[in-house]
Amino acid sequence: MIRIGLPKSRNLESALEALRAADVELDGFSKRRLRQTVRWTGEDGTEDVELFLLKDWDLPLYVEYGIADCGFVGTDVLEERGADLLAPLRLANGRSRMSLIGATAELPRDGAQIRVCSKYPQWTRRLLAGRPWGAEVFRLWGSVELGPLLELAELAVDIVQTGATIREHDLHELEILSEIAPTLVVSRGAFQRHRKRLNELMARVEAAGLVGS
Amino acid sequence: MRLRSGLPLGVNAAFFDEAKRVRRLEARLTERLEGAGYDEVLLPILDYYEPYQELLGERLLRGNQADQLYRFVDRDGQLLALRYDFTPMLARLAAPQIGSWTLPARLFYRGDVVRYQEPRPGRLRESAQLGAEILDAPDVGNEQEALELFVELLLSAIGSDVASAQERPVEIVLGVAGALDELVASSSDPAATVEALARRDRRVAGLGAEPLLDVVKTGLPQDASSLGEHAPAVEELQQRRERLLEALGSDAAPRRVRVHVDLAEFATFGSGGQEGEHPYYDGLMFRAYLAGAAQPVGNGGRYDGLFRALGADVSATGFSLGLDQLLEATS
Repeated sequence: MIRIGLPKSRNLESALEALRAADVELDGFSKRRLRQTVRWTGEDGTEDVELFLLKDWDLPLYVEYGIADCGFVGTDVLEERGADLLAPLRLANGRSRMSLIGATAELPRDGAQIRVCSKYPQWTRRLLAGRPWGAEVFRLWGSVELGPLLELAELAVDIVQTGATIREHDLHELEILSEIAPTLVVSRGAFQRHRKRLNELMARVEAAGLVGS
Repeated sequence: MRLRSGLPLGVNAAFFDEAKRVRRLEARLTERLEGAGYDEVLLPILDYYEPYQELLGERLLRGNQADQLYRFVDRDGQLLALRYDFTPMLARLAAPQIGSWTLPARLFYRGDVVRYQEPRPGRLRESAQLGAEILDAPDVGNEQEALELFVELLLSAIGSDVASAQERPVEIVLGVAGALDELVASSSDPAATVEALARRDRRVAGLGAEPLLDVVKTGLPQDASSLGEHAPAVEELQQRRERLLEALGSDAAPRRVRVHVDLAEFATFGSGGQEGEHPYYDGLMFRAYLAGAAQPVGNGGRYDGLFRALGADVSATGFSLGLDQLLEATS
């Protein structure tokens, strides 16, 4: 039986869309049940699939420990916490972007030393490496846009989806640093154990046009 | 006096029944090895760092192996290292004297390895291993013996009753070091291609080496000739797979042991094995997974080059089993 971790976040809908495209039966699926079994019909017949609803930040851990065989998680989480997992495909839908946000429309001048706040400090340091200005990066746990707004930091690095929050607070999206995509992650052991079924599942998701670059 | 009760990250202790489980497993496996004509070698846990530095310089070990070594300056001012891997230590101690040995030499070892690991699931910084090596005349391959013994020991560790077999299928993965080098080198971005292979990222197709998409999906390219000079070695892998399944008889697929030929599993650029793990393998490579474990419980391969660099012209094939990982997966 394959065990799949599903993210509780905004990525859940994209993950469910992919599973439906792969013919996983989700009619009885409940977003309130943290653990449930559904049916999946593949080339070799119908079998049970166990689904776990997990916090995004925890999902890679469940897969790395072998509790879940695979799961869907955003690349933002993978980039920040790292994970020794396979990442065979990224979904086309549910994408967002990691952007540099400021209270003004200007990037720091060369040689400046500034503060940057983010929920993703590890990834932010890598994204801003090599800039002609120095950045002291520190973590905020939420409402990251408040950092430059209240002058806690000159810049923020945060996820942008529609841009509504930025516009609402008269902030500026200075630069798109990276695209974020819901990604299927698989443990190495699970790939070897469930190779045929996973390849079949991924082929169906691809055939449905749900895989992006 | 109250002392700190916890242990450093990645280090465990075992008391009473848990300790018995470890020793019983070890005893079961060593009995089998001795019965197969393997003699034990006892290796120290302390060594000079210099030999490993030389091997790193020769690129027989990868740079990140240096990061894994716990090294320190002792009170005599010498730079020492803790044993992080049995094979390089065995090679450097055996190479100078192997000319006086009767070959083939079949030996085994057991004990702890100590290596820095990032705090990731299943990554221990001190872990118990048991392994075996066959050293023989140059160009005499003992891969099949090593592979069959590896699987036999694994099955012995899991337990022989059918119920446990059905719950604990063993996945054996076979590969060849450097088999994808030519394809990787022909891509538009070799470094990105290796990363994509290692992650089985299907975007590898966009990096200009079309056959690698099949490698990512199935472990092999559709057209074996795309592997260039490695094509015969991969053909030999398929034959080795068949011989292993035949040797396993009723233990074989689909219930108990499944054997996959999968080049992506060992993807790296340049000869050698997976970065950070066992980069000295330069021929056959193999790895084992158990149900319930996301990481491999053992691996092995051929590594003549390591001995050659140390001045000994022998063939060398071996494997190691992670006893902690085995017990974790079978608990």
